[in-house]
Amino acid sequence: MKRRGRGIACMWYPIGFTVSANPSAATVKMNEDGTATVLTGTVETGQGSLTVLGQIAAEALGIATDDVHVVSADTDTTPMDTGAIASRTTYVTGNAIFLAAEAAKAILFEAAAPMLGVKVSQLEAKDRKIQVKNYPQRNVSIGEVALRAQAVLGTPAIGSASWNPPTVALDPETGQGKPFATYVYATQIAEVDVDDETGEVEVLRIAAAHDCGTAINPMLVEGQVEGGISMGVGMALQEEMLFDANGRHINPNLTNYIMPTSLDMPEITVDIVQGFDPTGPFGAKGVGEPTAVPTSAAILNAIHDAVGVRVYSLPATSEKVLTAIKAKRAAEQKQIPA
Amino acid sequence: MNEHSRVLERDKLDIAEPLSDVELRLPAVLPRESYPIETLTPDARQQTRAVGQRVTRPDGRLHGLGQTKYIDDLSFPGMLYARIKRAGIASARIKRIDTSAAEAMPGVMAVLTGKEIPVNSFGPSFQDQPVLVDDLVFHAGDGVAAVAAVTEQIANEALEKIVVEYEPLPAVLDPVAAMREDSPKVHAPNSNIYATKTIRKGDVEKGFAESDYIFEDRFSTQMIEHVSLEPHAAIADWDANGRLTIWATIGRITLARADIARTLKLPMSRIRIIGTIVGGNFGGKNEISQEPALALLSKKTGRPVKGVFTRGEEFTSTTTRHPIIMDYKTGVTNKGRILARQIRLVLDGGAYCSWSETTLGKACILAPGPYKIDNVLSEAFVVYTNKTMTGAMRGFGAPQVCFAYESQMDDIAKKLGIDPLEIRLLNAFDEGSPSPTGQVLHSVVIKESLRKAADRFDWEPRS
Repeated sequence: MKRRGRGIACMWYPIGFTVSANPSAATVKMNEDGTATVLTGTVETGQGSLTVLGQIAAEALGIATDDVHVVSADTDTTPMDTGAIASRTTYVTGNAIFLAAEAAKAILFEAAAPMLGVKVSQLEAKDRKIQVKNYPQRNVSIGEVALRAQAVLGTPAIGSASWNPPTVALDPETGQGKPFATYVYATQIAEVDVDDETGEVEVLRIAAAHDCGTAINPMLVEGQVEGGISMGVGMALQEEMLFDANGRHINPNLTNYIMPTSLDMPEITVDIVQGFDPTGPFGAKGVGEPTAVPTSAAILNAIHDAVGVRVYSLPATSEKVLTAIKAKRAAEQKQIPA
Repeated sequence: MNEHSRVLERDKLDIAEPLSDVELRLPAVLPRESYPIETLTPDARQQTRAVGQRVTRPDGRLHGLGQTKYIDDLSFPGMLYARIKRAGIASARIKRIDTSAAEAMPGVMAVLTGKEIPVNSFGPSFQDQPVLVDDLVFHAGDGVAAVAAVTEQIANEALEKIVVEYEPLPAVLDPVAAMREDSPKVHAPNSNIYATKTIRKGDVEKGFAESDYIFEDRFSTQMIEHVSLEPHAAIADWDANGRLTIWATIGRITLARADIARTLKLPMSRIRIIGTIVGGNFGGKNEISQEPALALLSKKTGRPVKGVFTRGEEFTSTTTRHPIIMDYKTGVTNKGRILARQIRLVLDGGAYCSWSETTLGKACILAPGPYKIDNVLSEAFVVYTNKTMTGAMRGFGAPQVCFAYESQMDDIAKKLGIDPLEIRLLNAFDEGSPSPTGQVLHSVVIKESLRKAADRFDWEPRS
């Protein structure tokens, strides 16, 4: 019969990676109509990073996401970037873009201050305008300022910057040090049904609560969490590359390498835990990899809760779960006094 | 006679000879359809507080309409198709490679072997991976020769005509066996243990002595492939000025350019890498693979050369997730506080280092879990085996160790009669807690995440 169980797992995960440096550089070019173009060496690999990076530039410049075009991934034209790896794009590349946007904005402020008759320090960029802080009635459109900076003053508003997370190398003996600038945290709770006659596990629902600092784009965070969980389900129950005794891979195809489909996916609820990291762009950290971290642990704990068996090696295939159930039954029967 | 010279022969023929069916056909083009492109812009994209908005992705429409141009959608005049012959044997010495029959095939424009690659090694940490093996085979998915032909089918057929004679060598497949002194060496004379990491804090023996209970378990995980929808793909174009342009599905173009410059002995200014929209990476496309071979085939033929891995090659010849054997020894008080944790991790590195050193570091540092533990000893080893190389994959060793530390956490809770949520809240990091490496942690919200998930799940305490 089917037995229901629940399992919890939490985790921590670093943003960026453990080498001496992993910088990103970026350029933000203000166009004469108040829109902007961002140059970054990172690559869009399906996660929506260019959208998030555009939002960071837009926020810094006080314009809308639609006003920003992001050009990426060309070694001839875009600045260096350590790459779409280690959940670092929003945090590291995001900081570089933020700083580049600030540099472009400083040129706009220099042009706008005499137009508005105030000091540069009194200005802010908001709602596609350069305006006086706490006196927004005095403003000029950002496009007008950009055009003036370029065509009248001869100082086009272009900013370039780079950023590298502050780390401290590990002591080779003890491993003590500051290997990463910051970490994110998450919890996933899974509910499963385990068929105690076949060992088959069905994941019914997962409640996921993830910290990513400020969620620059909550919709993309939710997408990352759902995608990460699908990889976690595969790791927990199905996926395994198998080799024969001679070291030849025996299931190099999607017929024999089983991975989750939409039918295997549980119902997922995503909560974004309120967080703010002062070292990230607008308080953001990252979310890409951590989403795949606690899923298999939560599912395996739920199996344990459902049928009382601990599976020590992944994946927990039906065969493994059933073998463990049978072993448990056999052990229990032996304990009955004669 | 190859395809190119055959075309020249035919040009000399009498005009009266009828054109073939192929020559009469129109080039294959997709029917032109007008798509209902709406100009309506979702409101979130127009907000001037951009951060925090549920902004839609500008590439979403193109994906939805099937208009995103992946490498396989790109084509250039005269472009050739490359395929790579795989060894199919886990450990061997190459005695002889005979490519003459393949080269003689009509439509085959060039064949490349490892000996022709200027610097036949690459890798992000250690340069231990050949582009094409030229002497020793390190795993069954290694490439031994590459072919460029006018069609993919001819390239495939040419692979069958390449004869490779191997002298089989003993293969090391089990990482624990590979650690033994007397084990055959994957990269002789070097030890199979190619990187180690230790994190030591406090005194675990003292912590175990003060503990009421000791838990000892061994956990293990499997080798996993990323299975991106889009396989590894690239187009290389070596132009007449000796400048190389590569369109590639690589998530790290800066590193890729450095690796390609090294393998081809080219100045970086002569290399342009264009990262196309990638159909899934998950860590699997963080380094070069076939690109130097495609570049040299392009140089040989003077034509652009495209290479797209098959699904089989995605499994056998690209990086995968590390299987890890994880020994956990944990000492706790009868109230459930963890006093000491000793961990030993053995990572199966496969045939090449790839991102193993980084994975080893992350796994070792994260292995104690997000908990306040005064006494920690975490040791990690990564070893060569004659299997598909393991490397970067979403989580870099963290999903494996999380499976171990969270499984054991539930066993501890069960034994002590404490609710699984409670025991985690009891031990979890606080703001300012020291990490296992002694780093003072900031913006720590692990307890908030535990409570939030528990609320959403309707978690009822039970012990």
